[in-house]
Amino acid sequence: MGGQACVLYGAAEFSRDLDLALLIEPENLRRLDAVLDELDAHSIAVPPFDTQYLARGHAVHFRCQHSDVRGLRIDVMSKLRGVDDFPSLWSRRTVLQTEDGVEFNLLSLADLVKAKKTQRDKDWPMIRRLMEAHYFQSRLSPREGHLQFWLLELRTPELLIEIANDHKALAKDVANARPLLRFASAGDLPSLTAAVEDEERLERERDRLYWEPLKRELAQLRRRR
Amino acid sequence: MIDPEDVVEPEWVEWYGMTPLERLEASERLWEQYLSMGGSLDPEPDTQSPFFDPEAPPAVPADGRAGMRVVRRGGV
Repeated sequence: MGGQACVLYGAAEFSRDLDLALLIEPENLRRLDAVLDELDAHSIAVPPFDTQYLARGHAVHFRCQHSDVRGLRIDVMSKLRGVDDFPSLWSRRTVLQTEDGVEFNLLSLADLVKAKKTQRDKDWPMIRRLMEAHYFQSRLSPREGHLQFWLLELRTPELLIEIANDHKALAKDVANARPLLRFASAGDLPSLTAAVEDEERLERERDRLYWEPLKRELAQLRRRR
Repeated sequence: MIDPEDVVEPEWVEWYGMTPLERLEASERLWEQYLSMGGSLDPEPDTQSPFFDPEAPPAVPADGRAGMRVVRRGGV
C-alpha cells in the first residue's frame, strides 16, 4: 500500500520499506508469521506484534535478516486514518498481474490517496503525482466517477481550473464538498494555489491530532521496555 | 487542453506515460543499481513519522557491509 503501490499507479518513490495492510484474522496472521519466518524478520521498536495494537491503529515494525533482504523494514497495519475498514478496502482493491502470473493487490487509487494524507512532507507531492498520472492517463476517456474524483482530489491548480471550466455544473456541485473549487471555477489561480496549500496544512494537523493519543501510548510502551 | 509538459518536468511526463509494468521494471532496475553500489535496504529514520522512535537502534548490517560512503568531499 506504500511506495510500491505509488510506482505501479504512476508516482515514484524510492521507498526502502514495505508497507502491508492486513485483515486481522487467524489465517492471515498465520500466513504473515510464515512469511516473516521465511524472511527472518523480527519485530523492532514498539508496539510488540500483538493484534490489539493493530486493531487500535498502530503499526507493527519488522526488520528482515535473511541474506537476500537484510535490513529491509516491513510495516504492518490494519487500520488507517481517514479510510474505510479493511473489508471495504479489500473489496475496492486494484489487482495487477505480470505476464508470469505474479499478482499485486493494491489499495484502490482513491483509498491510497486518502491514506497518504498524513503529517509527513513527503506524502503530499506523492498525492499530486498520483492524481496527475491518473488524470493524464484517463482524461480522454473518463469513466463514471472520474471527473468527481479529480475535482475532489487533484492538487494541481491548473488542472482543477481546466476541469472546472469544462464541467461547470459538476464543479459547482462538488464545491459543496471542496470549497476551493469556487476559485477553480473563477479561474483564480493565485487564490486556488493558496487554498490547496491551506487544505494540506489542515489535513496535516488532523493527522497530528489523530496520532497524539497513539503516540502517547507508544511513549509509555518505550518507557516500559 | 493542458499538456502534461505544461505542469510537470519532462521526466515525469515520460513516467506518467509508462504502463504499470514498465514502471515496475524501471524501478527494479534502479533497485539493482542501488544495491550494486552498496546501498542498504535499511531505511533512514523518518523523523516526521508518528512511528519515529528516537531511541530505536539503527540496523547494523550483519555482514559488515557499510553501504555507500564518501571517499572525497568537495569544498563549499
